[in-house]
Amino acid sequence: MDVCTFEKVGIRGTNIVVLGVEKKSVAKLQDERTVRKICALDDHVCMAFAGLTADARVVINRARVECQSHKLTVEDPVTVEYITRFIATLKQKYTQSNGRRPFGISALIVGFDDDGISRLYQTDPSGTYHAWKANAIGRSAKTVREFLEKNYTEDAIASDSEAIKLAIKALLEVVQSGGKNIELAIIRRNQPLKMFSAKEVELYVTEIEKEKEEAEKKKSKKSV
Amino acid sequence: MAATFFGEVVKAPCRAGTEDEEEEEEGRRETPEDREVRLQLARKREVRLLRRQTKTSLEVSLLEKYPCSKFIIAIGNNAVGVWEEVGCAKLWNEWCRTTDTTHLSSTEAFCVFYHLKSNPSVFLCQCSCYVAEDQQYQWLEKVFGSCPRKNMQITILTCRHVTDYKTSESTGSLPSPFLRALKTQNFKDSACCPLLEQPNIVHDLPAAVLSYCQVWKIPAILYLCYTDVMKLDLITVEAFKPILSTRSLKGLVKNIPQSTEILKKLMTTNEIQSNIYT
Repeated sequence: MDVCTFEKVGIRGTNIVVLGVEKKSVAKLQDERTVRKICALDDHVCMAFAGLTADARVVINRARVECQSHKLTVEDPVTVEYITRFIATLKQKYTQSNGRRPFGISALIVGFDDDGISRLYQTDPSGTYHAWKANAIGRSAKTVREFLEKNYTEDAIASDSEAIKLAIKALLEVVQSGGKNIELAIIRRNQPLKMFSAKEVELYVTEIEKEKEEAEKKKSKKSV
Repeated sequence: MAATFFGEVVKAPCRAGTEDEEEEEEGRRETPEDREVRLQLARKREVRLLRRQTKTSLEVSLLEKYPCSKFIIAIGNNAVGVWEEVGCAKLWNEWCRTTDTTHLSSTEAFCVFYHLKSNPSVFLCQCSCYVAEDQQYQWLEKVFGSCPRKNMQITILTCRHVTDYKTSESTGSLPSPFLRALKTQNFKDSACCPLLEQPNIVHDLPAAVLSYCQVWKIPAILYLCYTDVMKLDLITVEAFKPILSTRSLKGLVKNIPQSTEILKKLMTTNEIQSNIYT
């Protein structure tokens, strides 16, 4: 199976979780809103996936129903770990049934639990899931992960804007044409999912570029 | 002979074997119709080299008519630049989608040959079709001729899916796309990437060309890119870039900073069409 997926990055900050995805070029006559890669599973959990869009749709629908069913049954919203485990169990079932093929998606699931702690999980087609502080999925995931390993520090995630900038910087490592191909979503503690508009993303990208220039100027001054 | 319930007499299968053998022998003997079908099929599968402007067949092999010092062969979607078309090789086999072999337009022509305008001794062959095993020898004969010159250097570029790469490492840890090289004994320069490790092998036309070059002692090198996307893809095409800085090809390529932009434009049309993946 060809792996023609675009990058997704998830970062777990102290008070914020960030999901950044690479937007793929949409045909002129296609409605952009229907090509969403970041989906809310509930008010406090959202997911980005990489892989077969149709498979993702099925998994997301099942997860959304499970979130509501859980809320009605136990009167508590799902924890991020619970819904991740549900999705992973579903994926695993399809690796062990006859006549079915595995779901061809990897997912990054982010959110806040009731205890106020941010979570980030990654699942893959085999049905395994792991918790991460920051991760990337997609074609050039290795490059992005290496960048995150170097730059994910306690300072970097202390403030919301720094965490957002880290996600954008990580994507810019591999995304072809800069800010206009990046889609961003955040969840702050006790607040619903917020999708960034293209202008807001562009503002952050400009800020990042300014910081880069200043850092380079400082370096050249030092060497002189 | 046996009688059925309804009274008809049918020939019962004979377990003695003698009758069957006779039937088999009859089958082995080729009837004139069979011979005619076989000849027609051979004619259909013939490899034809055609000149560009006139679309007439070349009487001699391509490299006898157009001697070259460097011959680059690109096989497969991702391995295919300021070239002028010299001719094309048309062929048909069971893998072809079109059935009309006489009226293939130049856009459908399967192997197109170009030479560099600024340096006509540099040839490029772009082959985006499958050349069947029985046609590979014909192709080689028509292009190289029966007695090829040794003072030329051949570079073959091709792709393979990363799942074909046999290694003890886990496939998840492979840095795809990545390059591997295989060269003939007479190729003295070094490759810009590691050599292809055992037990991996090269298949189809690239293997045929390399074997041909080894037999005829022509310096040739094959660069095989293992990739996870078999369609035209920017990252895979960029994996071939180190080849452009090797000694043999350095002089041919201008270091255009806009090369990435140009490549991106070429790829964008392909990207938009696919909605299956996100």
